[in-house]
Amino acid sequence: MGPLVVNEIISENTNLLLAFFIGIGFGFVLEQAGFSSSRKLAGVFYGYDTVVLKVFFTGAITAMIGLLFFSLFGWIDLSIVYVNETYLWSAIVGGVIMGAGFIMGGYCPGTSFCGAAIGKIDAYIFILGLFIGVFIFGEGFNLFEPLFMAEFMGYPRLSEFFGLTEGITALLVIVAAVIMFWIGEWAEKKFPREEY
Amino acid sequence: MNKIFYSPRIIASIVFVMFGLIIAAVPKNTTTPFKLTAEQILNEIKSGTQYVDAEMIAQMIVEKDPSLQLIDLRPESEFQKYSLEGAINIPIDNLLSPAYYDILNQGVMTNVFYSNGSTRANEAWMLVRQLGYQNNYVLSGGLNYWFETIMNPQAPSATSPDDEFAKYDFRKAASQALGGGAVISAEPTSSTSKAIPKPKPQGKKQAVKGGCS
Amino acid sequence: METVKKTKYMNPYLAGVLLGLVVLSANFVSGRGLGASGAVKSAVITSVETIAPIHAEKSKFYSSYSKAHDGKPMHSWLVYQMLGVIVGGFASGAISNRLTWKVEHNPGITSRKRMIFALAGGVLFGLGSQLGRGCTSGSALSGMAVLSLGGFITMAAIFGTAFMLAYFFRKLWI
Repeated sequence: MGPLVVNEIISENTNLLLAFFIGIGFGFVLEQAGFSSSRKLAGVFYGYDTVVLKVFFTGAITAMIGLLFFSLFGWIDLSIVYVNETYLWSAIVGGVIMGAGFIMGGYCPGTSFCGAAIGKIDAYIFILGLFIGVFIFGEGFNLFEPLFMAEFMGYPRLSEFFGLTEGITALLVIVAAVIMFWIGEWAEKKFPREEY
Repeated sequence: MNKIFYSPRIIASIVFVMFGLIIAAVPKNTTTPFKLTAEQILNEIKSGTQYVDAEMIAQMIVEKDPSLQLIDLRPESEFQKYSLEGAINIPIDNLLSPAYYDILNQGVMTNVFYSNGSTRANEAWMLVRQLGYQNNYVLSGGLNYWFETIMNPQAPSATSPDDEFAKYDFRKAASQALGGGAVISAEPTSSTSKAIPKPKPQGKKQAVKGGCS
Repeated sequence: METVKKTKYMNPYLAGVLLGLVVLSANFVSGRGLGASGAVKSAVITSVETIAPIHAEKSKFYSSYSKAHDGKPMHSWLVYQMLGVIVGGFASGAISNRLTWKVEHNPGITSRKRMIFALAGGVLFGLGSQLGRGCTSGSALSGMAVLSLGGFITMAAIFGTAFMLAYFFRKLWI
């Protein structure tokens, strides 16, 4: 059955319309969770508010479990769901640069649009920065290209990488996430802050 | 009182671990081994996307393209006698043996099936394609055509259009590089140095759309 | 009593489950995860193509992307999705009385300083998201949902780096 658009159950234009509705859901949840506030987002790195950690990992494991169950019931064909390609070095270096951007800017791209939607001026500035950053990458593409294309590993899943079944990999990820929830709540007690 | 017991963290943890245990315990769904419908395969056959030209393969061999994986489908005895450079032997009888699964179903290499003609290669392609495997192609015309065009190219007649000559020069150059019979005489033309575009992984077209790019 | 009082944020675990369902529906409908930086990329490419078409044609980065989207970079899944995010975020803010124009910053720093760091952070995030083929939503969150190795690597790199640098930027936040 799923993914609907790949199996041509819905048309390309319907897909774009649904993208808009999915986006509404995405934006709504992010804002409700408090991701429109940079101080709340940055809190995870100082332990006073670990909402990012909780929402992010709960979201990831919910979607992961959902996909595996959908596949189990034959509702979705996981082999044609997009799996991000892995270019080892660009993933690491890109992630490091993004991490630095996160701690300085206090937003990530998705949450900055959310912040902008409710009138955070710093979010607008962050978005302006995003545009500049992408533009720099585009202009310097020749410079970045060797790193960008280095160490292509195909489209591996974590389960294939460790040689485990998808179910067991999922269980391990869930256990890791649960441990992080406990660490997160412990940190919130240890580094409490007044209302901010 | 029982505040700790009902904290969202505990509930979330218990529910998630439970789901995780279930998903870890059940075997993977294998009830739909055929990933593509007959209609989809027919469409691909109609558009002929599975074919790769002999010239393109010759170029890839000469350039030692690391992504090329030639797969010889003939019986082992024939494979021993002659095979294309870098080819591995998977006799078509053993095509579905688990030993070859990782070679046939992957996302990095460009697999090109060949046999004497192209019938057997086509059969193999249809089989693996129906299983949903990607990046598998068929050498157009098989080995017979390969010998005709790449190893012993015929000079085009004098009235042929220019690109026929360019093609011929390329084949001669390729033939020489691959140890064939033709003798190179003309200077390599521009077409020999021009890289032939790699076959696009057509099958993956829809699936790879995604990510943040 | 106080009508202007801001409503509290949703329970993080509940929000996380809902977020997961959004990612799940994106995968079910379109066979892909969410993304944010892709829409920025579309917008940048469209602007460059409009302002300097010859320059855009020459650069591999712009022309290959445009080609992959039939010459209409703005007519893409991620752009529509991001428009939805803005609408959804606004709706949520409206419901919870959080719509105000302000520069949010730690009382310890000036809003000017906050703006400078927001800009710098944005530049880095924009650059990093292109290099890493996706941001926190596209690469890390959606990648983890499909158990992509790259998604886990990017996630670890983003959060790991931010934690390591947290000490140096503590004045900004605490």
